[in-house]
Amino acid sequence: MSASGGGQMLERDEESENEVRRVDQENINKFGRLNARLYEVRGERDGLKKKLERIDDASTELMMGSGDTVMLLLGDAFIEASEEEASEFCDAEVDKYQAMVDSLEEEESAILEEQDSLKKELYSRFGKSINLEEK
Amino acid sequence: RQRARQRRVSAQPHGHNSHRQDAHQPAAPTVACCVVDQFLEVKMAPSEEETAPAPASATAAAAAEAAGTEDNGTAGRDLKALAKEAENTSLSLESVTDGKSERGIPQVKFIDDIGKFAESFNPPASAELLIGAYSDLFSKFKAYEQSLSQKRLTYQQKIPEIEKSLALVKHLQRKKEEGEAVVTRYNLADTLYTKAELDCSSGIVNLWLGANVMLEYTYDEAIELLSSKEEIAKRELDEVTQDLAFTRNQIITAEVNISRIYNWDVRNKRSEKAS
Repeated sequence: MSASGGGQMLERDEESENEVRRVDQENINKFGRLNARLYEVRGERDGLKKKLERIDDASTELMMGSGDTVMLLLGDAFIEASEEEASEFCDAEVDKYQAMVDSLEEEESAILEEQDSLKKELYSRFGKSINLEEK
Repeated sequence: RQRARQRRVSAQPHGHNSHRQDAHQPAAPTVACCVVDQFLEVKMAPSEEETAPAPASATAAAAAEAAGTEDNGTAGRDLKALAKEAENTSLSLESVTDGKSERGIPQVKFIDDIGKFAESFNPPASAELLIGAYSDLFSKFKAYEQSLSQKRLTYQQKIPEIEKSLALVKHLQRKKEEGEAVVTRYNLADTLYTKAELDCSSGIVNLWLGANVMLEYTYDEAIELLSSKEEIAKRELDEVTQDLAFTRNQIITAEVNISRIYNWDVRNKRSEKAS
């Protein structure tokens, strides 16, 4: 009676005789690191996108505006500001966040590229003995 | 039909499916032995090497704990042979780690040749002992990774707060230069805000430094202080992130080592059986 071992065990004909060299270990480590970073980058980018949405809504409200003295939330207190000031402030924030989102997206695609090349190498070396897919 | 099978190396990012491996030794009575709880369960045949009269399993377990070598891990190890081996082995924490990173995190040793590595100990280390040692390292690193992640989260919360205060002070400074007064609604009580008019010409802010201390600063001093605080926090965040990446590397290396030792052992037993 052979247990299937939770899907982690290989069938006899799937086994590979390839030894893991130091270089391979480095590649595997790199892949793991990149993966962790990828999740972080995606999390940050999603957070920033939400912030951008909110500022966008705020600018729209401003434009439809009630006239004067808008309250800007700075820190924990509200500061009275004119519509102009508030719009300037919003625009500046939008630019700042947009730039951050852009750089994060660049980083994400760079990571995905590198991961792809690592995957190719590791799969060619280890075949089924290694699993590099998302859960 | 029982057969021993090799184990797949898995480089996955988050969490770990607990790998439960069963190595069935054909035609030998098996004794379940817990090498490290939660992680690995290896069924092993009782060793044929022990010649000395076997001590009672309870005292063997106690002896294993008392031997104090790092690789012993958890209690419940009532396999006399393993306890005996653990007492006699020269395998220690130093042999499975390779020095430290620059911030004092031990680096897991990458084994180039498992056979030679096992032979290098006196007496030659069994696979179970090696797996135990690396599993131990693995769990330690996992715990350390958790604490590092916590630290990182704290920093990630601190930094936006500093940035908010900084933005506020800069705004006040701007207003002072423009010579305008600032009308604000501030938090008087939890759910109550009240209107206040600020005269920026005094150019003074009070900064809360923690420990029930609040200090007066001019705008420039305040901006300087907050900026430097922000820089320090960002730098520490970087350091923690690097440490985290390094620790994750060690975790993956330890895991891969465990898989390889296991596979090596499986291959050995198979060739022994065949010969």
